[in-house]
Amino acid sequence: MSFDFALIVDSIPKMLMGIGLTLELLFLSGILGLTLAIVLLLMRISGRWYLAAPTMVYIYIFRGTPILVQIFIIYHGLPQLDFVRESIFWPIFREPYGCAIIALTLNTGAYVSEILRGGVLGVGRDLKEAGAALGLSVRHRFMYITAPIAIRLCLPAYSNDVISLMKSTALVSTITLLDMMGIARTIVAETYAPYEVFISLMFIYLILTWIIQRTFGWTEKRLSRHVRSEA
Amino acid sequence: MEAVTGWWDDFFWGSLVVVGVFVVALVMTVLFGLIGSAAKLSKSRTAQRIAGAYTIVFRGTPEILVLLLFYFGSAIALTAIAQVFDPEVKFVDIPPFWAGSFAIALIVGSYATETFRGAFLGVDPGQVEAARALGLSNLKTFIYVRIPAMWRLALPPFGNHMLSLIKDTALISIIGLEETLFVAEQAIGTTGKPFTMFIVVGAIYLGFSTIITLSVMVLERYANRHLEVAR
Repeated sequence: MSFDFALIVDSIPKMLMGIGLTLELLFLSGILGLTLAIVLLLMRISGRWYLAAPTMVYIYIFRGTPILVQIFIIYHGLPQLDFVRESIFWPIFREPYGCAIIALTLNTGAYVSEILRGGVLGVGRDLKEAGAALGLSVRHRFMYITAPIAIRLCLPAYSNDVISLMKSTALVSTITLLDMMGIARTIVAETYAPYEVFISLMFIYLILTWIIQRTFGWTEKRLSRHVRSEA
Repeated sequence: MEAVTGWWDDFFWGSLVVVGVFVVALVMTVLFGLIGSAAKLSKSRTAQRIAGAYTIVFRGTPEILVLLLFYFGSAIALTAIAQVFDPEVKFVDIPPFWAGSFAIALIVGSYATETFRGAFLGVDPGQVEAARALGLSNLKTFIYVRIPAMWRLALPPFGNHMLSLIKDTALISIIGLEETLFVAEQAIGTTGKPFTMFIVVGAIYLGFSTIITLSVMVLERYANRHLEVAR
C-alpha cells in the first residue's frame, strides 16, 4: 500500500470535469426546491385544512424516507407505470438527469418548507399586531413585516440545508450520472486506488461546503446590518 | 401488490438488518458525539483542533463518499496487512455491516458532537459548582449532574440525528449489505416491478421514522418529567 501522488494530480482534473454537473444539480434543484417550499409554506399557513393537510402528508413522507429510495422510485420505479410512459413528461422521466433534478427538488422542498415555517413562526406577534394596528392587510403584513424578518431568521438553517443538498447530489452517481462522485467511482474502479481518489474528492467537496458557508455567512451579516447586537 | 407476496419474508429480514445497523451505529454515534464534544470543550488545543477537523470533514462531505472510502479503503489496508503474513491472500474486507455502521456513525457522530457541545454548555454552571461543593469527583459530576441535565437539552436535535441515521442505512446497500433496498433490487430482478418494490422499501423506512419520532416524544416527556415548565 502506497500513496500515489501522480494519480492524485492525474485524477483531480478528471473529477473537476464533473463539477459543472454537481453545481448544475445544486442550483437547479435548489431554486426549484425553494419555489416548491414557498408554495408548501403558503398552503401550510393558509389556515385551510384542505390545503394544510396535504402539505403535512407530503412533508412527512419526504422527510421520513431516504433520498436514495426517492431517487430509485423516480428513476427505476416510475417507468413501470404505463401512464407515466404515455404522458408528455416521459422525456424528463426517461433521462437520469431529469429524474435527479425532480428527486432532489421534491426532497429539498419538504425540508426547506419546514425551515421557512420555523422562520415565520419566529416572528414576534407584537410586530404583526403593530402592522394590523397600522391598517395593513393580511397580505401586506406578510409581505412587508413577516417575510423580511422570517428570511433573516431562517437563513442559518437554510444554509445547512443547501449544504446537505450539495451532499445529496453525490447520490446521482447511483443512477449512472457522471458528477464528481460518479467520475471518482469510475476512476477507482479502473485503478483500485480509493484513498488517493476519494480523499482528493473529499477536499473538493469541503471547499464547496466552505464557499456555501461563507456566502451565507456574508449574506446573513448583510441582512442583519440594521439589527443592533445585544452584546 | 401481488408481486410482493413471495418477498415479504425477505423484506422482513432486510428490515432486521436495518434495525441491527441502526442500533450498532447509534451506540457508536453517541460515543463519537461524547468524545468529540469532550474534546471540543477540553482545555487542550490539540484535542480542540482534532475535534474541529473531525466535524468539518464529516459534516462537509457527502455520506456516500465517506462510506465508499471506508469500505474500499479498509479493504485495501487489510489486504496489505494480510499479505505481509500470507502472500497467497488476494482480498480481505471488513463486512459491509461493520464498515457501513462505522461510516454512518462517524458522519452522524460529527453532528452529535456539535449538539452535545451545545447541550453541555447549556448546563447551569451553578449545578456543577454545587456538585463540586458537595465533594463529588469529576467523573461523578459528569455522570450524575452534567449528563442528566444535558440530555434534556440534546434530545430534540438528537432525535433528528437518529432520523438521519436510519435514513443513511439505505446507503449501505451500495456496498452490498443485504438490507431492504438490496432485497428490493433482487426482487426487481425476478418480478420486473421496480415501482412496487421501492414503494415497499419507502413504506418500511417511513414506519421506522415514525417509530423514532414517537419514541423521541416519549423520551422527551420522560426527560422533562421534573420540570413544570415543560408541561
